[in-house]
Amino acid sequence: MAVLQVPIDVREVKVRKSEIARYLGYRGVTPDTAVETRIDACLAKLVAMSRVRDCYQVFDLTQNEDTLSFAGVLVTSKSLSRNLRACSRVILFAATIGPGVDALIRRSELTSMTDAAIYQAAGAALIEAVCDQLNLSLKELARSKGLFLRPRFSPGYGDVPLALQKDFFRILDPAKNCGISLSDSLLMSPSKSVTALIGVSEKDTPCILDGCESCENAATCAFRR
Amino acid sequence: MKPLLDRLGKEWLFCDGGSGTILQANGLQPGELPETWNLSHKERIVKLHRDYFESGADIVVTNTFGANALKFPDHEELRQIVTNAVTLAKQARKEVGREDDAYVALDLGPTGKLLEPLGDLSFDRAVELFSEVVRYGAEAGCDLISIETMNDSYEVKAAVLAAKESCDLPVFATTTYDTDGKLLTGAPVEGVVALLEGLGVNALGVNCSLGPEQMLPIAQRLVNAASIPVIVNPNAGLPRVEDGKTVYDVGPEEFADIMEQIADLGIQVAGGCCGTTPAHIHLLKERILKNHPFKPQTHKHRTVVTSFSQVVEIGPRPVVIGERINPTGKKKFQEALKNHDIESILQVGLSEEDQGADILDVNVGIPKIDEPAMMQEVVTRLQGVTGLPLQIDTSDPKALERALRYYNGKPMVNSVNGKAENIEAVMPIVKKYGGVLVGLVLDEAGIPETADGRLAIAKKIYAAADRYGISRDDIVIDGLTMTISSDQSAAATTLETIRRVRDELHGHTILGVSNVSFGLPARELINANFLTMAIQNGLSSAIINPGNEVMMQAFRTSCALLGMDPQCMNFIAHYSGYVSSAKRAAGQAQQAASSAVKAEGGSALQDAIRRGMKESAASLTIEALKTRDGLSIINEDLIPALDVVGNEFEKKIVFLPQLLMSAEAANAAFDEIKKTMTGAPQKKKAKVILATVKGDIHDIGKNIVKVIMENYGYEVIDLGRDVPPETIVDTAIRENVPLVGLSALMTTTVVAMEETIKQLHEKKPDTKVMVGGAVMTQEFADQIGADFYGKDAMASVRYAESMFGDDKN
Repeated sequence: MAVLQVPIDVREVKVRKSEIARYLGYRGVTPDTAVETRIDACLAKLVAMSRVRDCYQVFDLTQNEDTLSFAGVLVTSKSLSRNLRACSRVILFAATIGPGVDALIRRSELTSMTDAAIYQAAGAALIEAVCDQLNLSLKELARSKGLFLRPRFSPGYGDVPLALQKDFFRILDPAKNCGISLSDSLLMSPSKSVTALIGVSEKDTPCILDGCESCENAATCAFRR
Repeated sequence: MKPLLDRLGKEWLFCDGGSGTILQANGLQPGELPETWNLSHKERIVKLHRDYFESGADIVVTNTFGANALKFPDHEELRQIVTNAVTLAKQARKEVGREDDAYVALDLGPTGKLLEPLGDLSFDRAVELFSEVVRYGAEAGCDLISIETMNDSYEVKAAVLAAKESCDLPVFATTTYDTDGKLLTGAPVEGVVALLEGLGVNALGVNCSLGPEQMLPIAQRLVNAASIPVIVNPNAGLPRVEDGKTVYDVGPEEFADIMEQIADLGIQVAGGCCGTTPAHIHLLKERILKNHPFKPQTHKHRTVVTSFSQVVEIGPRPVVIGERINPTGKKKFQEALKNHDIESILQVGLSEEDQGADILDVNVGIPKIDEPAMMQEVVTRLQGVTGLPLQIDTSDPKALERALRYYNGKPMVNSVNGKAENIEAVMPIVKKYGGVLVGLVLDEAGIPETADGRLAIAKKIYAAADRYGISRDDIVIDGLTMTISSDQSAAATTLETIRRVRDELHGHTILGVSNVSFGLPARELINANFLTMAIQNGLSSAIINPGNEVMMQAFRTSCALLGMDPQCMNFIAHYSGYVSSAKRAAGQAQQAASSAVKAEGGSALQDAIRRGMKESAASLTIEALKTRDGLSIINEDLIPALDVVGNEFEKKIVFLPQLLMSAEAANAAFDEIKKTMTGAPQKKKAKVILATVKGDIHDIGKNIVKVIMENYGYEVIDLGRDVPPETIVDTAIRENVPLVGLSALMTTTVVAMEETIKQLHEKKPDTKVMVGGAVMTQEFADQIGADFYGKDAMASVRYAESMFGDDKN
């Protein structure tokens, strides 16, 4: 189906270095200069190798208690219902920074595992930053029409089964539109790719459910914010 | 009907436009597979095609974009869908009376899966998927195969091979570029053109993703690079939402306006993609036919070698081909091949890349190995880690065919010679897969002593290329470097040969440089000066060791001197900090003295490891080895330093990057110690299997654990990623391994982890299993029956140490 796109220039995406450090396991500590220099060098290479692509589409949404229906899909989920409460439409999006990061990681695993770990962390931070920017653009677009967006919510969050990925790939066709493919075990390649739902509402209900806070693994996750 | 190939490239041909938006307007639901309509809504599909034939499209593609066995696992259903697709298009053509001048193209879109190593679809499987569809389509009577919207050079290669191996129909291939003219997987326009021309498609081009305006610069680059007809099928601009409906923003008028500009660039086939309608095609055709006389494609005479992401052109300046992936005379490399130690082979290639090679020669021929299998593995794994194009170097035609089949891009091929038998064995393979072929000027009578004799063989090789349909641009002549210690005129003959190939045959040349100095002292002096002379005489490519600084100096200096390094930028980039040899010698003596003093106490080495300074750790170890034996350095410096870092990591004083930097520094020290000791420098504590479980293709966590465990003296058997339970169990039993570490990233693959643990505990009950990975928790680990949950790399080491550590012995 025809999908929409938000043009994103990777050079203009703001990656917070504190996020990269967080993915590398730093907690409230700033990396020393040697590590920071290395992170800078890796991030520059990563950005140069990245190929950002995204696609999205908007669908009507109906809710019946904890069961949601959109684009011909039925999902029963408490956490997603809470996230999408009072929403009449939902955006499905997919985004990736491309396979370059995976190549960089594979190469570094042979030359320097330190670099490999940094690319892994920087790649995670970069795709999140890309999604943030995508969300921001969509938010502005919605705002111009008097609509409000909910925080993004990915398959696998909370009690939403990861199997929802299959519906995502059927409906949005990120394989064709962004070059993201889904393995039989529901892993995405390129590895630094995201699919998510964003609720669209006429009401600007403040929503506490955002990112880590909405995740049921928040108590034990090593990468929690 | 006039055969398509009688018209293609000689007159304007027009493709049809979008179908998705039209089918949606006719009721196709989101997520509904359009191909199912070939069974359920035949009349709507016929109408779609009829409208395009009536609008003037000469080539209409079937409704089979996503028709493959991944989406339609029932082969009979798939056959019916594809057969109907062709039949419906033919019916539409008949209904509008265009059976004489319009063609039905079997449409092949991407499989939707990324190929290995990026994803989990194997190249063979991809070929199989496409072949099946091509067979059904050809049986149903399509006129050509149209491969389109490909994002990935490897997938488009699989599709073209499938088409050419499964039918004799013409093949068109169009790919989808970003605005910067690259495929998603990195290949630039020029690289894709070289690949597709090498594979022998009949026309190539671009479609989808971009509107005509954004496609214009890409069309220009296609026309500049291609020697065969170029197809341009843009979208009707970019989609946007209007009144809750997705619409494309470029109407027929505007579309035709820009397509007229694109037509002027010198393309041969024009049409549309997503969002375009019969109205777009009608107007486009009318305008182009009226205002733009047809221009046939011109031959570009370029010699291009590519990988999946890089393009190296032979001609503008000499290129460096790294010679180090070759077992000849290299004991360590031979050992690596025998022990199937692919990683150290890859590391050789990566260091050549860092040293400045443009292309890597790959030779894995030693007696008693399965060379075709080894060649395939090394080539595909190299392509997983480097974007440099490769030169396939083998005398075994089977190994050559394997390498060329699985290579992602258009490689160099080393080599063919003037012997009739050799030409017959090599050229058909190169013709089928594409490649730049090195021709050695020797034949049944041996190596001619004169340049005249060598030129005669070069001509013979060119003539053979003509016969096999290989472009002369894809031949590079090896003038053959002979050693001057046995024949004083050898170098002069070689230089004359390459000069005359350039001047008289207008061809490109290559030399394996270092043979010239065989049997002489100070070989690099001879080699470097010979290289300079050869470049002066027109050498196009040099097979050398890029790690030899003197050779690279000669190469970069020659390029600067001969005006082949614009503004001397490359020279300056490498030598702006150059220290003259006299000063360098003085500095080295000083440095050696000072580091020797520091190393005596052992603390400098410990400090270097703790601070993760790889080079210092290596040089301090070299110094320390002058006065102490390797084992004491390991026990007194390396292990204590690693322990300090490990403790600090656990106390969250240092973090993962520092832990890994220290591990790398310690590795550099171990490597130096290994060089001085025969056998294993370190007693191995125990064997440990590490694997990422079935279904899981991300293995960085496991690899981090591996590095740290190796540091601590464990013999790690790394089974890689996506490993079936049976493989892990079999290896544990065969090698009698007491500890297995498993990693899983996703909840979906934890199931495979559980299964592996179950089988291990059943069949090898004394083996302990530790688990880790992003989704893993202690609770989860307990649930699936793991013996230990390692929250990070150090935790895994500590667990192993609790079983096998020194204090346990």
